Amino acid sequence: MHSFTATQEAARQKWSALQSSPIPTIYVGTASCGRAAGAMKVLEAIGGHLAEQRLEANLVHVGCIGLCYLEPLVDIITPGRPRITYSNVTPEKVESILASHLGNDEPLMRCALAHHDTDHAQGNGYTKKLPRFVDLPMLKPQVRVVLRNCGLIDPEDIDHYLANDGYIGLMNALGRSPEDVIAEVGEAGVRGRGGAGFPTAKKWEICRAAQSETKYFICNADEGDPGAFMNRSLLEGDPHAVLEGMVIAAYAIGASQGYIYIRAEYPLAIARLKIALEQMRAYGLLGHDIQGSGFSFDITIKEGAGAFVCGEETALIASIEGQRGMPRSRPPFPAIAGLHGKPTIINNVETLGTMPHVLRHGASWYRQLGTPGNYGTKTFSLVGKVRRAGLIEVPLGTPLRKIIFDIGGGTLKPFKAVQTGGPSGGCLSEEFLDTPMDYESLGAAGSIMGSGGLIVMDQDTCVVDLARYFLNFTQHESCGKCSPCRVGTRHLVEILERITNGQGETEDLTKLHDLGEAIKRCSLCGLGQTAPNPVLTTLRYFRAEYLLHVTEKHCPACVCRELIEYRVVPGKCTGCQRCVAVCPTGAITGPRAEPHNLDASLCIKCRACYEICRFDAIAGDAIVIGSGRKGTHEPTA
Amino acid sequence: MSQPPEAITLSIDNRTLTVARGKTILEAARENDIYIPSLCAHEDLTPFGGCRLCIVEVEGMRGLPTACTTPVTPEMVVRTHTTLLHDMRREILQLILSEHPCSCLICDEAEGCRSYSSTIRKVGVTTGCRWCSNDGRCELQEVAEHLGLKEINYPVSYRGLPVEKNDPFYDRDYNLCILCGRCVRICQEVRAAGTLAFCQRGRHAIIGPAFGRSHLEAGCEFCGACVEACPTGALSEKASKWEGKPDREETTTCPLCGVGCQLQLLVKGNEVIGTLPAKDELINDGQLCVKGRFCVTELVNGHERITRPYRPQGGVKVEITWDEALDRAAETLTACPPQEFAMLVSPDSSNEDLYVAQKFARTVMRSHRVDTTARLFYGSGFSAYQRLLSMSVPLSEVEQAATVLCVGLDTRFGRSVVGVKVRRAIRQGAKIITVYPRTHSLGFISDHWLQTAPGTELDLLRSLVELTAGRASEVDASVKAAADLLRDSDPTVILVGTEFMAHTDSAAILEAIAQIARNLNAGIVALPAQGNLVGSLLMGAYPELLPGAFPTTSAEQRKRLERSWGCDLPAPDSSWNAATLSATHQAKVLYLVGALVSVPRTVADQVIFQNLYPPQRIEDADLVLPAAAFTEVDGTLINGAGRVQSMRRAVEPAGGSLPDWQIICRLAQRMGHAGFDFSSAEEVRREISAVVPGFGDQVEPTRHPAPLVCEGRVEDLAARPAAADSGRQTTPYILSIAMAEHTYRGFPLSRWVKGAAELFGEERLELSTADATSLDLASGQYVVVSGNSFERTWPVRITSEQPPGMAHVVLYPGEEIHANPYRVDVRKADV
Repeated sequence: MHSFTATQEAARQKWSALQSSPIPTIYVGTASCGRAAGAMKVLEAIGGHLAEQRLEANLVHVGCIGLCYLEPLVDIITPGRPRITYSNVTPEKVESILASHLGNDEPLMRCALAHHDTDHAQGNGYTKKLPRFVDLPMLKPQVRVVLRNCGLIDPEDIDHYLANDGYIGLMNALGRSPEDVIAEVGEAGVRGRGGAGFPTAKKWEICRAAQSETKYFICNADEGDPGAFMNRSLLEGDPHAVLEGMVIAAYAIGASQGYIYIRAEYPLAIARLKIALEQMRAYGLLGHDIQGSGFSFDITIKEGAGAFVCGEETALIASIEGQRGMPRSRPPFPAIAGLHGKPTIINNVETLGTMPHVLRHGASWYRQLGTPGNYGTKTFSLVGKVRRAGLIEVPLGTPLRKIIFDIGGGTLKPFKAVQTGGPSGGCLSEEFLDTPMDYESLGAAGSIMGSGGLIVMDQDTCVVDLARYFLNFTQHESCGKCSPCRVGTRHLVEILERITNGQGETEDLTKLHDLGEAIKRCSLCGLGQTAPNPVLTTLRYFRAEYLLHVTEKHCPACVCRELIEYRVVPGKCTGCQRCVAVCPTGAITGPRAEPHNLDASLCIKCRACYEICRFDAIAGDAIVIGSGRKGTHEPTA
Repeated sequence: MSQPPEAITLSIDNRTLTVARGKTILEAARENDIYIPSLCAHEDLTPFGGCRLCIVEVEGMRGLPTACTTPVTPEMVVRTHTTLLHDMRREILQLILSEHPCSCLICDEAEGCRSYSSTIRKVGVTTGCRWCSNDGRCELQEVAEHLGLKEINYPVSYRGLPVEKNDPFYDRDYNLCILCGRCVRICQEVRAAGTLAFCQRGRHAIIGPAFGRSHLEAGCEFCGACVEACPTGALSEKASKWEGKPDREETTTCPLCGVGCQLQLLVKGNEVIGTLPAKDELINDGQLCVKGRFCVTELVNGHERITRPYRPQGGVKVEITWDEALDRAAETLTACPPQEFAMLVSPDSSNEDLYVAQKFARTVMRSHRVDTTARLFYGSGFSAYQRLLSMSVPLSEVEQAATVLCVGLDTRFGRSVVGVKVRRAIRQGAKIITVYPRTHSLGFISDHWLQTAPGTELDLLRSLVELTAGRASEVDASVKAAADLLRDSDPTVILVGTEFMAHTDSAAILEAIAQIARNLNAGIVALPAQGNLVGSLLMGAYPELLPGAFPTTSAEQRKRLERSWGCDLPAPDSSWNAATLSATHQAKVLYLVGALVSVPRTVADQVIFQNLYPPQRIEDADLVLPAAAFTEVDGTLINGAGRVQSMRRAVEPAGGSLPDWQIICRLAQRMGHAGFDFSSAEEVRREISAVVPGFGDQVEPTRHPAPLVCEGRVEDLAARPAAADSGRQTTPYILSIAMAEHTYRGFPLSRWVKGAAELFGEERLELSTADATSLDLASGQYVVVSGNSFERTWPVRITSEQPPGMAHVVLYPGEEIHANPYRVDVRKADV
């Protein structure tokens, strides 16, 4: 048996040894977002350079720090110097960065983003005028609790986690009675971060009270919303935070077996979880008689096949049981009869990530965050037409405006709408920008918090097309069990397709509304009950845009292909013939140096001419996209 | 005993109701005649909540819960019919119907159409107008009518899926499917089989075997439970899909094997248009196998049924009247001396037929020369099998068993109700051990499949005898593990199939099974292939057995019978049984009552052939008498566990056919003999009760099963030479022969039932894929199988279900077999 204090002490020494290492330490963000941006190639280049120059350095993989739009990110610490962050690093830039930073002891200012010097907010001579990392506009308004370690520690090394106060929450929990733990969580007012916001402690209490020799605890990591990656980043960047929360929760309800249900499309998260589980077992933090507490608990990873509906509790249970992922009616609730008919609690990744903090700092600390009834922080994937896309964490109750404009930097074109809660959520217009992000306010606006997807849209997004997109998604992901969802969403998609194709009629709007309401009321599970939200909210807040599609056959965002046409502006066309060359159907004709002619009957609206006209900037914007009688519109800058 | 569930009070639609706790709102409503529309709920299935039509309003509950999934709670206030519910239900039904050809439901002319068929074939199958085989039986129609739906606000789409007709017995038109999942759930929950599944998602969601396999490949047993559960016309029985609604139903007993399932015959006019399982908890519990569910209709309605007596003349049939036929038969039989008479009866005939037949032989023909074809089926193991029957326990014991040992039993097609019981036992935690040479459905779910090479079954079973008796035996680890399991669990039930019944050492195999049962104090469930084997023994349809299964040699019993029958009985005659009928041992007259054996035509001067269907060749009989099918007669059968059960006359006998007992009685009367003036099967039964001790007590409705008590023993045929002696040691294949068991009155079902031929392979040599490749064979090609003094040609069927080196064939009783298993050579036949 490892004594926790000894383990912790050893980890702290290891960590500080790394901080005060006599050789440089290079941190590379190698979470999925970093990898997608080319982090592995950057890593290769760094390794190559070090070998070539016979330089010694510690290379540390870290998770995503949330500045996804700046990936790949590379941090360098040289002995006695503060940590410097470089952004948008490419393999080509590696050589000059390392040559300057390691060779000349001078950070390469043109590639550097920020410094991490805690003493000199304004930077000293070494860091020159670099901003401090935490003062970056995207980070400054954030309160990072759940994500505090992401991007800063090596997720594959449990010692890094332990050195940063990891597993203290668990040790605190094990020192108290399970009822006490539940009371603490209840006092903190933690609500489930999976979307519905049900009080976590209440759920645990029911399960705790259920009489059964076997109970299960499941971590729901089946994150399936398009554009959402909160759980993935947390699992890739700080898996132990979630696992610690899981053991705390299992202790509270008295579960002996745990499952992490994670989609197979998250291979890196799975790999890191597997490593983390092994390390926990080795340290006596998982398995039989955890830290001598008498409490035994083990965790199995269950990979899902990528069905969106398996994020629904009962479908998820069916999937673990080896059945087809189809929801079943409640009652009985899983807390009473879940996996294999035994009491089962399912919590979202982020909910669990919160638990170590609640147990470490206590309920009153947690209640300082957020607003009454909505305590704590929430992570969001901020994506779409926003300048600074990435993973953020803010206290609940933060207004949308602060998130989108202060953190996200606003939109390039005028802001139009934001979709909260993914495909099950709603589309909110500008008037809701000052709505605080809390469960009740979003519900009142017809949307939901969801798991934290925020998709920002500007004037170039057509809300009808957006609703069609989301409904198409839910329609494909409907399990097919209940008729309102299976058939109803198909009809919603078909009506929306008709509208975007210019075949919509005014009564279609009534039909959309009535059918949407019926699906909401009559569907079996949460997927069906929320699927119509994108349609219902866009209808509610953007009715005018629907009407334009239906009555004027006009798509103001110039997105709906059947409602737009391409035109050559004769006054601007220089007759360079580049558009003629790229047109696949020969719709554009005309001699060189004379304004070209675009035959609309041949045009297939492939956008090639439009792109080349802007790209070359010879003629600039001689080709425009127009829609309806309202004349032209130019969608991109 | 479990406590009766507590009763609770709730209110539905302002009515105060008292129902048992644990019921759902839907069940409570149905018990009290409150109609809530529903399509996915089914009384045999757990709640599903898929169709959403049964939504209700419950005070204090959020949203609209479904009645089928919500349990009742005390003081619950439920409303089932409000404007909101009505609107929502109409909306849901519209959605369902927008995926279902439904013009028959909402057409303006539907009313007139129903009365006058004015628009039949007006439109095609895609819209479903009067063109659905389920019209009038469709639950969607009922719901549409209830909700008064006359219009659909959504475009109706047709999935355009091809109608699946490739598998036998039922068609699948998933364009009509509403995905209620009843078929999937009945297959999984009730049959414990899992052939069907939901496939795909969203708009592509569809029902079928997983991974696009055919039903045959996916292990479908063709039990038809899914067809019965389907609320629409998506699943329909090929043979009767267009027959419409039955006029009435009649319960009877299936004679197609010894399990004795209770059948619900669906009758329209004077025709059986289908069969369904009866809810008989003790035997089939609402389940049937493919034979009872799908074969009966075709079997009894075949257009080749004999409807008039006839005699062959110059190679053509000359139909004659019953009078003429009986005169001819009487004349032939009167001229026949007792020692040259022979009578063969089918062991699936009713007790009444069997009794009258043996009485005819003994009193009219003054001969004990009456036998059944079971003699040829069980051969040298007949008396051992008789002993097994006397140990038999009811099939229902299986569900209570801790361990089930299955010997020589495959429940895929025939006896699939037994498979259901075994799988339910597994759900209760039972362990399964099977002894079988080939891949079989129970093998997939067994804990130990002891796969035996042909000829080694006896060694294996004898090892189990030793091990279960606590003695040592040199065996494989798997056999050891199986034996340990058997010794450690209680109670054990042994299911005995008929795969090894034709084997040379079948008697020893059966003895070993009986010994294992004694060692373990286990119950034996013998599963005879014949519908009334026990009855045939009890009725004395054997030369060595008198009614009551007393030995013919017993002077006391003969005397008792002579008193009852009022005539002398001939002296016992041990020189004859069915197996002695051969080209060299001739009879003057052979009277075949529902029996069909492969014996040379020269066996008798005169053959009187009494059956449903004509003999294969016209010259096989001299006089053909049309007999009624089991659906057309009253009578009783005794199943393998000794339960006496009724067959009921559901329809008039086809054409001029008559029940067997009646034909024989008329013949006896024509020959001037008294004692045959029965006017009904009931009267025959009364006489049987007087003659057979204990029989009267068992006739329905009491139907207590009683083990067969036989004072007399049937005699075994001489054992065939042992396998090792008979073949050439160097030959590469071992031929294992099984007896055809899917027969009715001697005819293979596959001859008269189209789909059966695809499932039951008879008279074709089965070889493994590897062997077929090395012999360069394709399925259907002919092979020559030769051993010592033996050569036969059969078509080949290539299968992955058996190991290389094994050749397997199913033959009909009466075929001459030298030894079994038998070392043989297999070669491709010259074309």
